[in-house]
Amino acid sequence: MKETLMIKLDKKGQILVDTILSIFGLIWMLPVIFSFIGSMKEKQEYNLTFLWDLPKQINWIENIKYIHEYSNVYQSIGNSLFYSLCGAVGSAFFALLAAYGLTTLKIKHRMFWFMVIYSGTIFPLQLYLIPVFKAYQKLGLYDTRLGLIIFYIAICIPFSMFVLRNFFLGISRDLVEAAKIDGASDFSILWRIFVPMSKAPLSVVFMTQFAWCYNELMFGITFVKSNDIKPVMATISTFTGNKPAMLVACAITSIPTIILYLLLNKNFNYGIVYQSK
Amino acid sequence: MNKGNSIKNFLISKKDYLYILPAVILITAFFISSIVFTIYLSFYSWDGFSDKVFVGFENYKKLFTDSNFQISVMNTCLWVVLSLVISLILPLFFAILIVNSTRSSLFKNIFYFPSTLSSTVGGLIMTALLSMYGIPQVFGLLGYDSLVKDWLSIPYVNTIVMIFMGTWQGIGMNMLLFIAGLRNLDRSPIESAQIDGASKMTLFRKVILPALKPTTIVVVLMSLVNNFKVFDNIWVMTKGGPYRSSETLALTMYTETFVRNNYGGGAAVAVILTLVIIIVSYFNLKNTFKSNEG
Repeated sequence: MKETLMIKLDKKGQILVDTILSIFGLIWMLPVIFSFIGSMKEKQEYNLTFLWDLPKQINWIENIKYIHEYSNVYQSIGNSLFYSLCGAVGSAFFALLAAYGLTTLKIKHRMFWFMVIYSGTIFPLQLYLIPVFKAYQKLGLYDTRLGLIIFYIAICIPFSMFVLRNFFLGISRDLVEAAKIDGASDFSILWRIFVPMSKAPLSVVFMTQFAWCYNELMFGITFVKSNDIKPVMATISTFTGNKPAMLVACAITSIPTIILYLLLNKNFNYGIVYQSK
Repeated sequence: MNKGNSIKNFLISKKDYLYILPAVILITAFFISSIVFTIYLSFYSWDGFSDKVFVGFENYKKLFTDSNFQISVMNTCLWVVLSLVISLILPLFFAILIVNSTRSSLFKNIFYFPSTLSSTVGGLIMTALLSMYGIPQVFGLLGYDSLVKDWLSIPYVNTIVMIFMGTWQGIGMNMLLFIAGLRNLDRSPIESAQIDGASKMTLFRKVILPALKPTTIVVVLMSLVNNFKVFDNIWVMTKGGPYRSSETLALTMYTETFVRNNYGGGAAVAVILTLVIIIVSYFNLKNTFKSNEG
């Protein structure tokens, strides 16, 4: 199945295809290459030389120190890793329960309840900004870690539930019946049978939702004000002035999501079908 | 006694609902109630602190006579239409080449890589590339000195620039969908057409393109919905400026509410954005459930 060619091409056609792709591939890599070059420069040097001029020295250490001294990026990366972990694990847990209930347990009007939970993904996120912001101010959740975490859990539930439910629909009912006859409780059927079978969809759900929370900007800048608890995208979006240091910060910030992509690549055929939120 | 028993029985018979309860409560508390509150708020004048005053459709009327809002609508349409065309043609083009390439996974990863970065990081990188000694200087070296300026600070040009910069990150997912679609195509019609001596162009137009229709529909609908909501890129690159010239509806909603403290007006923008997206999403959902329910 791997690398099957669509149309039989002769040698010339093959070379043509690879050449065109190489040209576009190079264009696509240019921002990365320029960022790489730029990240080595000094602030003054960056502002006075062309993008493609090679740096006089490798200024990474100074730039890394600058980020530490003049911004909160490192602390924010820690914050975001924590928020995303809580968001992805929490939502996966509640989504597991809901998906199990909606596919296996005796619940009337399953389609209605499914739509209630799924409705969270249909509307634009701007709709939730004002009410949640105001409610958080009233409840004392504004500018707290807890507030952001609960919000991330809630917002990741619909998608996670959707994927898990689809997977659970494919699990044979006979298995459930057999386990029930053996005296297994509903929860232990979920925990001992369904969860071990769902490793692939669970990992896809976990990784996509982790990446979503980590990359999220709008709620991060709205629900949090204090620098020490800001998520990383909110912090880095205000990083101005020193461009080379900013490019280094961008690279460091992106490490977690790049690792996730490499991991997800294995389960990719499953993953790509549902990535929109 | 009897009554207590029946309550207990009732609870036991409902215990299955405990599984969906946490999800339903969170969704209702955060999202469903928010929708109701935002719609309610769009009929009030509110600065976020003092008492709300009922104004009926005043917020909406004001919006439609506000030139900033009109610009925002224009920009949103521009984003949606231009991005749709670009995010349909380029990914399809790349996908077709990639499935025919000898190094398909290498090229796939190169074109997908920008999509693994957050749009915030993407926006920052693009801002760095567009600085005075960056991309504008290419045109300077070619002799077009008038083009050497900060493109992001020129009204209306900045939107176009951002749309083109956005494609760097925007095509990855669509390309993967097209590759998957192409790999899953039924091979026999293609092979028989080739045996019949059809040229590659005819083969593409008459056989491959029609067979890709389901994938194309998914890509179109997804791009539409996502581009109506674009926020992060613009926020990082121009914050909607200068003079609110590069705002889209998502940004206008944010600025009206949190910068200008016009909560009612912001809510009204959110409602309008929602109506538009619901109309597009309706087709999207119909399509999703058609393919997933089976």
